[in-house]
Amino acid sequence: MILDRLAREVEALIFASEKPLSIQQLCEYTGSGEDSIHQALDRLNRSFLDHQHCLTIIEIAGGFRIATDREFGDVVSQLFEGRKPGKLSRAALETMAVIAYSQPCTRIAIESIRGVNCDSAIRTLLERDMIKISGRMETPGRPLLYSTTMAFLEYFGLSNLDHLPRFDEIEELLGMSSSELEERDLFGAGEE
Amino acid sequence: MKEMTASGNSYRIELDAFEGPLDLLLYLLRRDEIDIYDIPVAHVADQFLIYIRRARELDLDVASEYLVMAATLTKMKSKALLPKHANSGEEEVDPGAELRRQLVLYRTFRLIAEELQKSEETWTEIYTSPGERERWTSDSLEIEPGQASLLDLLEALSSLSEGEPELPSQRIQRTELTISECIGSLEHKIAPGITISFKDIIGPEPARLRIVSYFITILELMRRGWINCHQAYPFSEIELQRTERWSVDS
Repeated sequence: MILDRLAREVEALIFASEKPLSIQQLCEYTGSGEDSIHQALDRLNRSFLDHQHCLTIIEIAGGFRIATDREFGDVVSQLFEGRKPGKLSRAALETMAVIAYSQPCTRIAIESIRGVNCDSAIRTLLERDMIKISGRMETPGRPLLYSTTMAFLEYFGLSNLDHLPRFDEIEELLGMSSSELEERDLFGAGEE
Repeated sequence: MKEMTASGNSYRIELDAFEGPLDLLLYLLRRDEIDIYDIPVAHVADQFLIYIRRARELDLDVASEYLVMAATLTKMKSKALLPKHANSGEEEVDPGAELRRQLVLYRTFRLIAEELQKSEETWTEIYTSPGERERWTSDSLEIEPGQASLLDLLEALSSLSEGEPELPSQRIQRTELTISECIGSLEHKIAPGITISFKDIIGPEPARLRIVSYFITILELMRRGWINCHQAYPFSEIELQRTERWSVDS
């Protein structure tokens, strides 16, 4: 299969871009409509597959990127030995989870959910750019508010915040009184 | 329940393995096959306390959060054991309700954290072009104007104070500066009818002790109503004026 001009333009743009390119940007730079772009992306990915490339175009952090297949992770990781940060600790992951679902939120809010001091977890996440200080809550003491970043989306392979694993119940849970809780078990009885 | 009689060794699980008291509680519930919606408070409190005691016997540093939870559970247990007055008129409050809410919420977020960990596992093996690894190359990436975050500033500040040479004044014998001494010296500085700034009071290059002592003094004087303070906007100069009450009260 020979790729058409549009597909190759899209490929070139995504390859050369520093940041994930959004569908709007791709439309603008190629002068095509969204449908055409999506079809071009499909053709590109089919072509990668047909020719047994190790690449795929994925949607991540609000745009499109060329990514290597997972099975080549070991080979590629050699390039970044000593530079690639380690995996997040459980404390950091739990803190990340709370911030992702209840952002923007304060340290106190995170700690009341986890029942434990979260200072160092928050510091780790800030240092790794997973979260940012997004403002202050207008309450006494004006505590800092934390939100997730683009780097968070990229790290966990999310195209945007709507693609977080669905836990519709959380919003209710956060505001729900305990008596209401009794009537529902989110994860099926007897799981714990 | 069979494990309750197990020997001491089975409790030699370090508290470090748990992400706080809620995590430990969830573990205990699962171990004893207890329904989170029907927690036998007395039993759970006992089990929790056994853990804390063992940990302390092993000289492990027990974080204060565990002690708070231990106290809460003990209180809940004693409440549960007290005879209930049917006609006391007070509404029956389930002592386990708030704990249950916390546990369910925490358990939900723990599940999410597990999901995130799975994503991390996958995505750590996928490389994008050029992707986030730009950030791994160097810590000293240039920050574009307008791109500095509050964190950058805080880091810059803390690196400054780390490299600060020791000031000669720090080797001088520490002098105590009491609030009443401060009030005494302000007596002259804040003369009736004049306005003086906080900066003028503490003088040039003041020691930290001096700034703190005088600031507390200012707060104390405001509380007594002896002075009026005025600040045009946050972090601007604080201007002080004596009120008539100073002379009257003192």
